[in-house]
Amino acid sequence: MKYKSLLFFTLFLTYYDANAQNRGKGLEEKVRNLKDMTVKYSMISLNLNRFKEYVRSPPRDYSFVVMFTAMAPSRKCAICQHVYDEYTIVANSFRFSSAYSDKLFFGIVDFDEGSDIFQMLRLNTAPVIMHFPAKGKPKPADSMDFERAGIHAEAIAKWIQDRTDVQIRIFRPPNYSGVAVFLVLFIFIAIFLYVRRNNLEFLYNKQMWAIIAVFICFAMVSGQMWNQIRGPPFFHRTKNGPVYINGGSHGQFVLESYIVAMLNCAVVVGMILMIEAAGGVNGKDVRAQEGKRRRFYSVVGLVLVCVFFSLLLSVFRAKTQGYPYR
Amino acid sequence: MPAAATENKANVPKKGIFNNTTGFSTLITVTVLSLAWLAGFASRLFAVIRFESIIHEFDPWFNYRSTAYMVQHGFYNFLNWFDERAWYPLGRIVGGTVYPGLMITSGTIHWILHTLNIPIHIRDICVFLAPVFSGLTAIATYLLTSELWSRGAGLFAACFIAIIPGYSSRSVAGSYDNEGIAIFALQFTYYLWLKSIKSGSIFWSICTALSYFYMVSAWGGYVFIINLIPLHVFVLLIMGRFSQRLFVSYSVFYIVGLLLSMQIPFVGFQPIRTSEHMAASGVFALLMAIGALKYLHSLNPKGQWKQLLILGGLIAAVTVFLAVVLLTYMGIIAPWSGRFYSLWDTGYAKIHIPIIASVSEHQPTTWSSFFFDLHVLVCTFPVGLWYCIKNVNDERVFVALYALSAVYFAGVMVRLMLTLTPVVCVLAGIAFSILLDLVLREDETPAPAQDSDDKNLYDKAGKLKKRTPEPVAETGLGMNVRSGTLIAFMILLMLFSVHCTWATSNAYSSPSIVLASYGNDGSRKILDDFREAYGWLSQNTAEDARVMSWWDYGYQIAGMGNRTTLVDNNTWNNSHIALVGKAMASNETAAYDIMTMLDVDYVLVIFGGAIGYSGDDINKFIWMVRIAEGEHPKDIHEADYFTERGEYRIDSEASKTMLNSLMYKLSYYRYDSGGSPPGFDRTRGALPGLRGFKLTYLEEAYTTEHWLVRIYRVKKPDEFNRPRLPLAKRTIQTSNVMSKKTSKRRKGALKNKPILVKGKKVTKLD
Repeated sequence: MKYKSLLFFTLFLTYYDANAQNRGKGLEEKVRNLKDMTVKYSMISLNLNRFKEYVRSPPRDYSFVVMFTAMAPSRKCAICQHVYDEYTIVANSFRFSSAYSDKLFFGIVDFDEGSDIFQMLRLNTAPVIMHFPAKGKPKPADSMDFERAGIHAEAIAKWIQDRTDVQIRIFRPPNYSGVAVFLVLFIFIAIFLYVRRNNLEFLYNKQMWAIIAVFICFAMVSGQMWNQIRGPPFFHRTKNGPVYINGGSHGQFVLESYIVAMLNCAVVVGMILMIEAAGGVNGKDVRAQEGKRRRFYSVVGLVLVCVFFSLLLSVFRAKTQGYPYR
Repeated sequence: MPAAATENKANVPKKGIFNNTTGFSTLITVTVLSLAWLAGFASRLFAVIRFESIIHEFDPWFNYRSTAYMVQHGFYNFLNWFDERAWYPLGRIVGGTVYPGLMITSGTIHWILHTLNIPIHIRDICVFLAPVFSGLTAIATYLLTSELWSRGAGLFAACFIAIIPGYSSRSVAGSYDNEGIAIFALQFTYYLWLKSIKSGSIFWSICTALSYFYMVSAWGGYVFIINLIPLHVFVLLIMGRFSQRLFVSYSVFYIVGLLLSMQIPFVGFQPIRTSEHMAASGVFALLMAIGALKYLHSLNPKGQWKQLLILGGLIAAVTVFLAVVLLTYMGIIAPWSGRFYSLWDTGYAKIHIPIIASVSEHQPTTWSSFFFDLHVLVCTFPVGLWYCIKNVNDERVFVALYALSAVYFAGVMVRLMLTLTPVVCVLAGIAFSILLDLVLREDETPAPAQDSDDKNLYDKAGKLKKRTPEPVAETGLGMNVRSGTLIAFMILLMLFSVHCTWATSNAYSSPSIVLASYGNDGSRKILDDFREAYGWLSQNTAEDARVMSWWDYGYQIAGMGNRTTLVDNNTWNNSHIALVGKAMASNETAAYDIMTMLDVDYVLVIFGGAIGYSGDDINKFIWMVRIAEGEHPKDIHEADYFTERGEYRIDSEASKTMLNSLMYKLSYYRYDSGGSPPGFDRTRGALPGLRGFKLTYLEEAYTTEHWLVRIYRVKKPDEFNRPRLPLAKRTIQTSNVMSKKTSKRRKGALKNKPILVKGKKVTKLD
C-alpha cells in the first residue's frame, strides 16, 4: 500500500516534471522561432496554423499585435493600404529600435490567406488591429478604434503603449518626395531663368504678379486653409439631393468654398471693369475707347458687383439663420 | 450712430468738388477723421450702455489687476512684483512675464488726469482705453493710406477701420487687452516706416524705432513687424530697388529698434537669441554686404559690376542663411517656438500642444467668419491690391506683402484676423477711392488747380493723374451710369455700416461675466452669477484660501475674488495645468490626494446646465482630460470618458469613469433645477446619469442663483470618513474608578499591584 502510493507519487512527479520541461521548452522554442521570423521582416505573416500556435495557444509570455486586413486589389479596400503603411512604420520602428524585445511581436493576417481566422474571431470588417495580451483573453479595448484615434503610426504606437506598456518611438522613413519635388522645381526654375536670362521681361510683368496675389487672397479668404486643416467633404449627399452649402457657420464644404471664391472673384472683376471703364488709375487709353463701349463695360461691371455681392449675401444668409438680423 | 458712419463716408468723395482750396480739404479731412473717431468710439459703447462700466472676459481682468497694482504701488514696484496669489505654490514674477505697455499707457493717462485734478477711477480709464485708441488707429490708418495712395483713400480707410467688426471685436469698451492699443502701434509703425523709406531720413527711422518700441512693450504680435519690415527690404533688394534711402532707414531702424526692444524685461535677449527674430538680422547683414558692394562699385564704375553684384549678393545671402542654420544647430539660437511654428505646420499644435489647440481662437478660419468680420471689404480689397501691384513703387510693395502675409495668417488662425483687418481697410479704401474718384470727377467743370493728393506721391508710377479736362460729352460715362454706380456703392456702404453696427452690438459686446437672457416677451434678465460667486469668495473665505478651478477662471478669481489660484489664463506651466486637469478627471479619492498635495481649500466649477449656458466646465472637460493625459498617460485615458460607441455623454449611458470623475460629481451634486424632470441638464439636453450621490471629501460651500458657479470646500482629513457616534458613546466610561485616597494612603498606590504571598514553598510535583 505504502509502496504503491510512493510509486504513484514518483510517477506523478516525473510526469509533472516532464510536462513543465515540455512547456518551458515549447515557450522557448516558440519565442526563438518568432525571433527568427522577425530577423528579416518586422511583421510575421500568419496563417491558421501559425495563428493558433503562436497567438492563441497558452504558453506565452509575449504580447501579439495582429492586423487583420484585406490587401488584395479585388477587395477594393482603400483604407487598408494606408493602415498597412502606418502599421509597417510602427513595426519597423519597434524592430529596429533599442526597445526591441521578445515581449511584443507584430503579425498580419490577410483575408485571402486566412479567411478561417476571420471566421474564428467573427470579424467581418477590415482592417482591424487587435492586441492579444500575454495573459488572458483580448478585451474590447484590445482592438484599436480607428475612428477615435486615427490611423497614424503615432496613434497606433500610443495605443500599443496603452495596452502593453511598450513604448515605441516612431521613426518615419524621412519623406524625401516633398524635398525632391521642391528641388526639381527649384532646378527647373533656375534652368528656366538661365535659359531666358536675356529675356527676363516676364518677371517684370506686373499683371502676372497682381493676378497671383489676388488669387492668393481669394484662396485664403474663401477658407481654403480651413479645408486643408479640417478636411471637410466635397459636398454633402442627402436623400433630398446634394447639399452644397453647410448649414452652420462653423463649417463649410470644399465646393462651397470654391463657390465663394468665384463670387468674390466676380465682384472684384466687376469693380476692376468699372474702374477701367471710368478711365483707370492712370487715365490712359481713355480716349481711344468710345463712350458707348465704356458705358457698356461700366454697366456690366456694376451688374457683376451688385448681382454677385447679393448672391454672396444670400449664401451667407443661408448659413447664419435670419441674417439681416433685427 | 450708423447714420454718422455712413454720412462721413459720403463726405469723402465730395472732397473733390472743393479741392481748389487746401483749407477746405483740411477742414473736411479733420471733420471726417473726428467723425470717424466719434463713430468708432460710440459703436464700442454697447456693452457699457447695456450692462455697466465693467472689465470683460478673462485676460482683461489680469491687465486691470496689474494696472491697479501699478497705479497703487508705482512703476518700479510693478516691475519687481512677485505675485504669490497666482500659480500656487509657484507664484509668478509679473513684471518679467508681461508686456507692460498697456499698463503704462493707462497709468500715464491716470497720472495726467490726476495731475490736472480730474478724479477718475483707474477702472474707467481701463474700460474706455480701447475705444479711445480705436480713434487713434483710424488716424494712423489714414496717414498710412495717404502715404500709399491719396488722402481720399486715407479717409475711406479711416472710416472703415473705425467701425469694422474685425477690429472692434477686440476693442469694445471694457475689453482691456493688449490688442486694443497694439493695432494702433502697428499701423503707426508701418506709417512711420513708409515715411522713413520714402525720405531716407534718420529722423523718421528713429521715430519708426520708437513706435516699434511701443509696440514691443504692448503686444507679442510685434514679431509680425520685425519680420514684415525685413521681408519688405529683402523683396526690394531682389527687385533691384536698393537705394541709399533704404539703406539708411533700415539700418537705423534695425539697430535702434533692436536695442530698444531688448529693454522690455519680458523680451530680454530674445531678439538676438531666437529664430523668430533672425530674419531681421539676416537681412541686415545682407543689406550691409550689398551696401559695401555698391560702395566699391562707386569707387570704380567700370568693369563687370553687375554680375559681381548679383554674385556677391547671392553669396552673402547664402552665407547668412547658413550661419543662422549653423547657430540654430549649435543651440545658440533657439528654434522656432511652438506657437509660431504652428503657423507654418498647421497640424503641429493639434498633435503636440493641446493647450494651444484647445483655445477656440486658434482654430482656422472659415469663409463665413471672414465675411462676418469684414463684410463688403472682403470682396473689394483685392481690387486695391490689384492696383497697388499694377502701379507699384516702394511703399506699395510693402502693402502687398502686408496683405499677403496677413491674409495667410488670418486663414490659419481666427485670432490673427486682427492683423488682417487694418490692411483690408487700407486696400478697400484705395479701391473705393479710385472708383468713386473717377465716377464723381468726370462731371466736374475743368478744375485747373492741382489736387492736393499729388504732394504725397513722389513716385511717378502711381500718380493719380487728372484726366485732361475736355468736353467729353460723347466719350464720357454719362450721367445715368455715374449716378447708378454712385447709388449702388452708397447702398453697399450703408449695408456695411449696418452690418458693422449690428455685429459689434450683438456679437462682440458681451462682457461674458454678466450674461443676459431674453424672455419670449423681449424682457431682459441679467444673470450676474459670476460676480455673485467671486463676491462670496472674497467675503466668506480666509484671506489666503486657495481656490482650484480650470485655468479659464484664474484671472477672474484673482481679480474679483482676490484669492489665490492654482492655474490661470497665462498658461505658462503645462504640467501644473495638467495636474489640475488630472484632479478634475480623477475620482474623488484620487482627486483628494492631488488636492491635499496642492493645499486646495476650495474648488470652483462652472455649471451651465440649469440655464443652458454652453461654455461651462462639462463641455470643456474633454480638454482637461486631454491635457491631463498628455502629462499623466498612465492614469488618465481619454477613451475612458467616452461611451463604448465613442460618444461624449453625461446621461445614464455615460462611461463609469465619466460618472465618477470629480468634475461630473461637482457639477451635478444635489442638482435638481432646470427643466421639467428636476435635475434636467438643459445644455446637454439630457438627464444626468448619476444623481442623488453623496460627496465624501468635499462639501458644498456656495451655489449661485442660477447654479452657474458652484463652490465646494475641501474637507480637512479629520472631517470625513468618521463613523457617527451617538452622544452617549462619545464620553469615556470611567464608572469603576473610585478615589481611594484616604488619609492613610496619601502616597498613592499602584493599581493592580502584584500581591506577594509569603511563606509558602512550592513543593515539587512528582
